[in-house]
Amino acid sequence: MGVDQEDELLAFADAAVNGEQSELASARQLVVDSLGVDAMVDAAAIIAGFNGITRIADATGIPVEPRKLAETEEWRAALGIDRFMAGKT
Amino acid sequence: MEIRADLAAAQARAWQLMGQPGTWWTGAERVAIAAETRHSRSCALCTARRAVVSPAMVAGDHDSLNQLPGTAIEAIHRIVADPGRIGETWFRTLGAAGLSDEHYVELVAIVAVTVTVDTFRAAAGLEPWTLPPVQPGDPTRHRPRKLTEGIAWVPVLLPDDRSPEDPDLYLDSQVPRPRGAANIHLALSLVPDAMTHWWDLDEPMYLNAAQMANYLVQHRAISNAQIEMVAARVAALNQCTY
Repeated sequence: MGVDQEDELLAFADAAVNGEQSELASARQLVVDSLGVDAMVDAAAIIAGFNGITRIADATGIPVEPRKLAETEEWRAALGIDRFMAGKT
Repeated sequence: MEIRADLAAAQARAWQLMGQPGTWWTGAERVAIAAETRHSRSCALCTARRAVVSPAMVAGDHDSLNQLPGTAIEAIHRIVADPGRIGETWFRTLGAAGLSDEHYVELVAIVAVTVTVDTFRAAAGLEPWTLPPVQPGDPTRHRPRKLTEGIAWVPVLLPDDRSPEDPDLYLDSQVPRPRGAANIHLALSLVPDAMTHWWDLDEPMYLNAAQMANYLVQHRAISNAQIEMVAARVAALNQCTY
C-alpha cells in the first residue's frame, strides 16, 4: 500500500533538495497538476522545513530519545538509517 | 500564487529577525552568516569533500565571503554541504579553535532559517529574498543559568530549569502554544531566542505540537501520510539520524 501521489511528491522533494532548476520546475508542475497549488505550497513548506531541521539535529548532536530508539530499532536497521552513523566524523 | 497567511507571516518574521542583534552575534554578523550560507553552495572545497569517504581527507580553503571568523565559516559550510556526516570530533575542533557553544548554536539557527526559507522559495518557484537590513544594537549575551550537559554536544535548557529571566520558550511564542520538550526542541535551547526564532518559523511550515498529536485531522492541503513521507525523504537525503 502506497501513499497517494507518492511518485510526484518524492520527485518534488528530491528536486528541491538536490535537483537542477529545470528538474525542480517540472517536478513542481507535476505536483500542481496532480494535487493543486495549495498542496504544492504545503509540500514545499514541509520539504524546506525538514531541510532546515535536519541540519539543526545533525549539527548539535541531539540524539533520538531512548524510548523512540527502542521502538524503531528494527525498521531503522531495515531501512539502513543506522548506516548513516558510520560516516560521522 | 497564494501562500497560507500564517506561513507567509512566519517566513517574513524569521527573515527580518536575522537582521536584528541576536544573543551572541550582532545584526551585521547574523546577516553575514546568512550571506555565507548562500555563498557556500558554490564552494569547490565543499564539493570535493562531499565526494570522498571522509571530508577530513581533503584539505584547502573554503570559497568564502570572508566576513566572519574562520571557525564560523567552516561551521556554516559543513552544516550546509554535508550535515549528515557531522560528528562530535569535528564539532569539538571548532570549540578548541575559539567558537563558543553559544555562538555556534545561534549560528546553527541562522543557517537553518536561511536554508529553509531559500529552499521553500525555490521549491515553490519564487524568487529568493534579498537579505534583511541590518539593525543596530548589541547582542544581549543572555545565557540561561541552569543548563544540562551531556544530552547533546551543546548544553541544553530543560523546561523545568527555566528561570524567570528566560523566555518561556516551551510554551509562549508569538502565539502561545504548547511546545513539547522532545530532544529536538532542546537542541537550540542554550540560546532561547535562537530556539524561538527557529520554532516560530518551523511550526507553520510543518505542524505544531497540538496538530501533531491530532493525527486524525488533516491540517494541511496534503494528507498527514503525505507529509510524513515527504519529511522522511528529506531526512534520508540529508542522512539525518534523528
